[in-house]
Amino acid sequence: MTVEATDGITVGPSARPSQDTISLEIARYRPGHDEHPTFESYDVPYRPEWVVLDALNYLKDQVDGTLSYRWSCRMGVCGSCGMMVNGVPKLTCATFLRDYLPGPIRVEALANFPIERDLVIVLDDFIEKLPKIKPWLVREVEQPLEEGEYLQTPKELADYKQYSMCINCMLCYSACPVYQNDEHFLGPALLALGQRYNHDSRDQGAAERHDVMWTSEGVWDCTFVGECSVVCPKHVDPAGAIQQAKVESTIGWQLSFAPPVPPLPFGRKQAEET
Amino acid sequence: MVYPRQQSNFWYLKRWPYRIFILREFSAVFLAAYMVVLLILVMKVHDGPAAFHDFADTLQSPALIVFNTIALLFALLHTVTWFMAVPSAMQLRRGEEKVPPQLLIGAAYVLMLGASVVVLLLVLV
Repeated sequence: MTVEATDGITVGPSARPSQDTISLEIARYRPGHDEHPTFESYDVPYRPEWVVLDALNYLKDQVDGTLSYRWSCRMGVCGSCGMMVNGVPKLTCATFLRDYLPGPIRVEALANFPIERDLVIVLDDFIEKLPKIKPWLVREVEQPLEEGEYLQTPKELADYKQYSMCINCMLCYSACPVYQNDEHFLGPALLALGQRYNHDSRDQGAAERHDVMWTSEGVWDCTFVGECSVVCPKHVDPAGAIQQAKVESTIGWQLSFAPPVPPLPFGRKQAEET
Repeated sequence: MVYPRQQSNFWYLKRWPYRIFILREFSAVFLAAYMVVLLILVMKVHDGPAAFHDFADTLQSPALIVFNTIALLFALLHTVTWFMAVPSAMQLRRGEEKVPPQLLIGAAYVLMLGASVVVLLLVLV
C-alpha cells in the first residue's frame, strides 16, 4: 500500500529508516474488505521522547485517518492502548520508539482476542466473565451508615492493594497461552481481581467466589507460565495471585473434610463479624 | 465482521519465555524417568551386593550415561526455573512489607542444599 503523505514524510512500503524516521509495520484489518490482517509499513518521524502511541497518533492525524486503535489517557492509567509491539503485549503509551532502534517496529492487535478492526480487539469474552467473579464488596449485612466507614489497618490494606492496581489492559490475557487454548479459562486479571476482594477485610463474599475460582476453569487451569506477571504494567502479579489462590483452594478442600466445617480462613472478617 | 484469531499449535516456539516454560514442563518427563532408575537402584540394593554391582555396571553403558546427563541438565533447569517462581507462589509478608524475592529464592537453595547433605550423609554413613 502507498499512502500520500501530507507533510513530505515517506509513507508506504518503507525503505531503511534514516536517522530521522523509524518504520512501523502495522497490522491492518478492515472488516468487509480484508479476509485477514495484513501488515502495512509506514515511516514516521523518529523522536526519542515519542512512544508508539505518539507514532500511531501521528499516522492517524497526518497520514491515514482510517487507522483504528483505542487510547485515552496516554499515561498508563486507562488501560486502553494495549497492543502487541514486536510480538510482546505492551501499553503503547509507555513503549518508547527509542527502545526499538533502528526499527522496524511491528504493531498488532493484542493476541488471543478477536479483532474488531485494525488494532481494536473484541473484549466481549472478558466482559461476560467479569461479573462471575463478583468484583465488588459483598456484605451479608450492611453496617448502618451512622456506624461510619469500614476501617482497615495498613496491614489489611497491604493484603490486597497490589491486586487492586489492575487497569484491565488485557496484556496478561494476551500473554497467557492457557487463555489462548481454553476459552473457558477465567484468565489472569479476573482471578487476581477475585483475590483482590477475597483478601479485603471488608468483604464477606469469598465463599461465593470460591465456587467460581477454585475450579478447572479458574485457578486450576493455570499452568504457571508466569508471563502474565512479566507483561503486567502495574505490577499486579496475577500469576502470584493465582498460585496463592491454589494454596487457599487446597487448604479449603482439606478443611471441607473436617467436621464440623470451620469458617474458611480467607474472608476472615466474615468469621469475626458473625 | 470480527476476525477470529488463529491459534497456532506451536505457540510455545514464538518467544523465549514460552520456550523456557515448555522445557520446564518437559523436564518433568526426564525427572520421572530418572525416578524410575532410582527406584530400580534401591530395589537392587535391597537384593544384595551382586545385584547392585550388576546394575551399577549397566548404568555405565553409553546410552544410560547420555540419559543421565540429559536428565541432570533437565533437573537443573527444573530446579532453577521453579526456584525463580517461588516468590510468586509464596507471597510472604512481614507486616506490611513483602519478604524480598531474593530471600525466598535463597532460602529455597539453602533448603535444597540442606536436604542434599542429609541424603549424602544417609548414603555415606
